[in-house]
Formats: sequence, structure tokens, C-alpha cells
Amino acid sequence: MGEFGLRAGRADVRSAGPITFGPAGILFLADNAAAKVFAVDVADLGPADESGPFDLENVDALVGSFLGCEPSDVVIRDMAVHPLSHNVYLSVQRGRGDAAQPVLVRIGRLDGSITDVPLDDVPVAEVAIGDAPAGDDERLDITLPLGDEGEELQVGERTIRILRQPIRTSTVTDMAYVNGALLVAGLSNEEFSSRLRRIPFPFSDAATGSSLEIFHVSHGKWETTAPIRTFVPYDGGASILASYTCTPVVHFPLADLQDGAKAVGRTVAELGAVNQPLDMVSFVQDGQEYLLVANSAHGLVKIACRDIDAQSPLTEPQQPVGVPRETKDLQGIRRLANLGDNHVLLLQADNAGRQHLRSVKTASL
Amino acid sequence: MTEVSWSRLGGGDCIRLTGLPAGAVVQVRPGPAATGGGLPPMAGQLVRDGADLCFVPRFAFLDGTAYTVTVEGATAVTLVRARPDRTATTEITDIRPTAAEVPCNLLRLYVWFSAPMSEGCAAGDVRLADDGGDTIPGALLPGEHELWDTSRRRLTVLLDPARIKRGLAGHREAGYPLRPGKPFRLVVDSGFRDAQGLPLRAGAQRRYKVGGEERRHVDPASWLLTVPPAGTSEPVQVAFGRPLDHGLLARCLHVAGPGGELIHGAPQISHGEQAWQLVPRRAWASGSHQLIVDPVLEDLAGNSVSRVFDRDLSCPNDEPRQARPVMVPFRPR
Repeated sequence: MGEFGLRAGRADVRSAGPITFGPAGILFLADNAAAKVFAVDVADLGPADESGPFDLENVDALVGSFLGCEPSDVVIRDMAVHPLSHNVYLSVQRGRGDAAQPVLVRIGRLDGSITDVPLDDVPVAEVAIGDAPAGDDERLDITLPLGDEGEELQVGERTIRILRQPIRTSTVTDMAYVNGALLVAGLSNEEFSSRLRRIPFPFSDAATGSSLEIFHVSHGKWETTAPIRTFVPYDGGASILASYTCTPVVHFPLADLQDGAKAVGRTVAELGAVNQPLDMVSFVQDGQEYLLVANSAHGLVKIACRDIDAQSPLTEPQQPVGVPRETKDLQGIRRLANLGDNHVLLLQADNAGRQHLRSVKTASL
Repeated sequence: MTEVSWSRLGGGDCIRLTGLPAGAVVQVRPGPAATGGGLPPMAGQLVRDGADLCFVPRFAFLDGTAYTVTVEGATAVTLVRARPDRTATTEITDIRPTAAEVPCNLLRLYVWFSAPMSEGCAAGDVRLADDGGDTIPGALLPGEHELWDTSRRRLTVLLDPARIKRGLAGHREAGYPLRPGKPFRLVVDSGFRDAQGLPLRAGAQRRYKVGGEERRHVDPASWLLTVPPAGTSEPVQVAFGRPLDHGLLARCLHVAGPGGELIHGAPQISHGEQAWQLVPRRAWASGSHQLIVDPVLEDLAGNSVSRVFDRDLSCPNDEPRQARPVMVPFRPR
């Protein structure tokens, strides 16, 4: 793992966030509390690919039992499938408040066994992702505290209490590894912007990567930005399809993301009102690449990549809006992951809130 | 006869089993006995302590959770981890903005708590309601990502941007969540849990009147400055003419002295977020000062110094402005 800059140590993860696999089975974990991304060798050497389905009912209860907590104390923040072993990885926050603890859970592909992945004394690297204030911006995070925290400051004849703490935070909403770089989408707790950070991997001490704002145009009339909720590389990593918190689906070539340049993506679809995109995955069916989008309200949407490439930017409101799409009658899908070439794995919540892992054949989608 | 009880071993909590037959298989699962079927045992180690056997969990026992111990597959006992008897002390200390009236395309509110909070409550315990007390459906951005500051005392509440941005399906089909002339309240229910798992001492709400759309840039050139006399520590005061975002105001305004050095002092945001002032730590020098405005500074509707929330491509006024800090000069008299 030396070639990727990983060194034996502890991944001091404070909170469970999005996860995604990179090269050589390295798992990237976003830690929003610490404003870091960790790269961890999860030492998953096999077994070799099994091409069959994989289903596990009540995965929240199973994981909760292993972790010693009720299913309601299992918050599954993300899911990823190891590219070779096809073991399933869950980024889990166990418990709430001060008792909350991040755990990386591995579910055995062959037997459904549940283990936690050690994060101590493992090959690891990390990179900071916070919007760190500049060196001379000492005052940026000073506020007048509401309680008795902070430090006292003498101003003239008055004593004022000030508090220095990072108020501004950035929450990673999704990540993907593409061609030697980790792409990280985030949501600020203050300004409203669309930031896609590109962090070269192996991580370097010198640079935390470039940060780009991707605009999109609605109906040829309004140009805007919004935080990216979820995105997926496709076309061998040449293209990105991103879905925003305000639901447009926007295409942009990765080559457009030059540092400092204004990037304008092409709006190719909208996913409908009072709806949030939750996750995306690409898969191949009959030699053609397709995208699946999981939504909070509108089921699972399937879009053909060739239709995206052929779709001119949306210039007029239409119904349905944008590229042709099929909506699968699968409700409660929260996360998606490729399970080999022949299946897509779904994390699905039922009406009672119980969560299940279910695989569907790509041929049937 | 096996006795099972909460205990301690090596500085940590454990479940102690006394009088156990040699070689017995012991497992622990969360929940009452009836729920255990098919569930894996809780991760942990069985450690011999004299004549006793101790189950030391890999993940700490959680307060308020029941744990069922089985010996040789048969339920021995269910122990409930007691929740410490504490009374609720956490309060809501502030809801921002404090402006009496907000635009109908309001984007963001902040809720301040007196102590660190638990995640996972915002979707259920924070809502917008009309004057009749009815929840305004679909007004807030749904989602899994709660936006907290590092100390988990300030929660950022976003209205659904799809209903505010023009041209999008959300706006076309459902319109603004807020209507001019129709007051509303941000309501935080007392069930919101603090980091100790306790509810709030009381819920809280703030009522707002609703005005028209706000679609203009934040324009520092239009601000009114009250300039202090040189040699005094009176504040420099800045009036914006309309409310700006409380969170961004706290970090987007600075003052530089004649030599370009930052003037340290105590900044303060006015009630209503329409003004800001800085009381300097040292008396003002004479000479040219600069108010430095970070162009990300936004108003209540997400319009910033550098760009409007959604730009009408046919409107020249909507064109993006400089992305560098804006300087507003002033000279203490």
C-alpha cells in the first residue's frame, strides 16, 4: 500500500459518512465531524467473485445485534461493495448524541456474516477537507457565546466573552474515485454553493485539491448553483452525472472541470417536485450503459446514457422533463451499489422502517 | 445456579456470570428475549475473572437498552441498562433570523441550543407552521444530512431550494413554501434530543411576517456607515438596509487599518440582522480604513455579493459580480 501513500496507523474516524472504493481495494471514508477523508486498506482479499444474487432481510437488526444496540440506534450512512470480493461495506453510526460511535461494518458475501473492520493499526492515509480559514483570518470563527463558554477579552473598559470554534462546516454528501482523483461533493452549513472538490490520490500534504463550482441552467432562462446531493461517473470516468438538492440532473464532462474556470453543466432531466435524489449507480445492460437514480419520493429511475448524450439542454418546461426515463416500482431505496456486473444491490427501507439488502439482476432492470 | 449481573472489569462495564458450568456457551444480544431468533450475538469477549466469567462488549452498552444473556442457547436473564435519572436542562437559546419580516423566498434559518445535540431529530422536530398551528408541508429540505456546527449547538435549517429556484419542477408545481402576507412560525418541538438523549426543557418558536421576493445582489456600495471619531473606541456601524444571513455575517465582515492590518475587536450583529458593528480593541487611528466584505455574504434568500440565488439570464442586473473581497473605505474623523 506504500505506492498509494498508506502507512500503518489509526484511522481516527469520529463520524460515519459516505464511503466508496478506490484503487486496489482501498476504501475512502468521509468523516464530517473531523472534516477529513480517510483512505483505508480494508485487507479484503477475497473470496473471488460470486456472480449470484445477495439478499439479507432486516440488515439493520442484524447489524444492531452484532453492535449491541436496537435497530433504531443503527444509522446506515452509506453502502459500498468491494470490487473483487463483493463483500458489502456499511458506514454505520451506532447510537446517538454523545454515545454515537462510527463503525465500518463488513457483511460477508458468501454467508451473510457480520464483522466490524478494524481501523486501528491498518494501512491508512488521510486528507483534510474543511474550508480552513486563511492564516490571517483568526477572527473568522469568533462569535459572542450564548453561554459562559469561550474566553474573556478586554475591550476598553468592557470585558467581553468570545468563543473561537469552527461554526462553518462542510458535510460530504457523496464521493467517487475517478482516474487518480477522489471527487467529493459537499454541502455547507452556511453559504449555498455547489462545490465539487477534486483531490489527487495518493493524498499529498501540499494540496487538498481544487474546488469547483458547477452552474446549471434551467430552461435556458435561469442559471444557478446548488449543492450536489449525489453523483456518478460514467463513460469510463469521462462524464459525470450529478443530481442536485433542487433535483435537476446535470451532465458535465470531467475535462471541463479546470481549476478556476467556470463550469456550466447541461441540465438533462428533472426528478420532480418534493423529491430528493439519494444515490446513483451506472450499469451495463445489453452492451449499453444506464444510470439508476434512487429518489426519496419518485421510486427508482432508469436513464439510458445514450439519451443523456443526445439530450439537448432543457430550454422549455416539459412534462415529463428531459431525457426519457423509466420509473421502477421499487420504493424506499436509499442506497445503490454495483454487485458485480450482473446485479445491483439495493438498501431498501420498508413501510415499518426496517432495512433490507436486496439485489436485482441488471438484465431485469 | 447461574447469577448474571452488571459489573465492572478492568475499568470497563461488563456482564458478570457467577456459578457457570465449565465450558458453557454464553451469548449476549440486545433486546428482550423474544427478539433474539436468528440474530448474531453481540461482539465481545468472555474473560475469566476468578471463578466468574465476564462478557466484555466490543461496543459499549447503551443506556436504556435491554440485553438478553443466553447460556447454552437458553435465556438466562434480560438485563436493562438503566438510563441515568436526569432532568432536561437543554434549551433553545436563539432562532435566527430575528428580523420581523422575511422574504417569501427565504432560504435558511438557524436554531441555537444551549448544549450539544443529537443528530437524527431535525426532520421530526423542526417544522414551519402557519398561524393556525398547521404544519406547512414540504417547506423544509428533506434529507439525511443535518447541518450542524462543530459543537452541534447550531442547526442550519434550509427551505427546499427546489421550491425557491425559478423554473424548476418544485417551484412550478408547488410554488414558494411561504406566501406574502401569510405569517408563519419556525417551530422546534421539545422532543428534540440533546447529546445526552434528553428532550428539551421546552420547545420554542419564532413568528415571521412574509414579504415579497428578494432577488437582488447584496450591495456593499449601498450600505450606510457610521464612522467613529479617531482616538476613541466607539464602534464603526454598518447598516445594510435589509436583513442579511446571521451565520455569514459572523465571518464575512472585517476591518483593516491604514496599514492594511486587521482591526481586532468585538463584532456584533444587530437584532434583525440589518446592521453590524465592530468595537475595536484599541482606539481608532486616523487615516483610511477599509471594511472588507467577503463576497460569499448572503441575504436571507441566498443572494450574495457576487451572485444572485438564481440568475435571470435576460436580466443585466443579475450578472455575476466580482469574486474578490469588496472594500468599503471609511476614515475615522
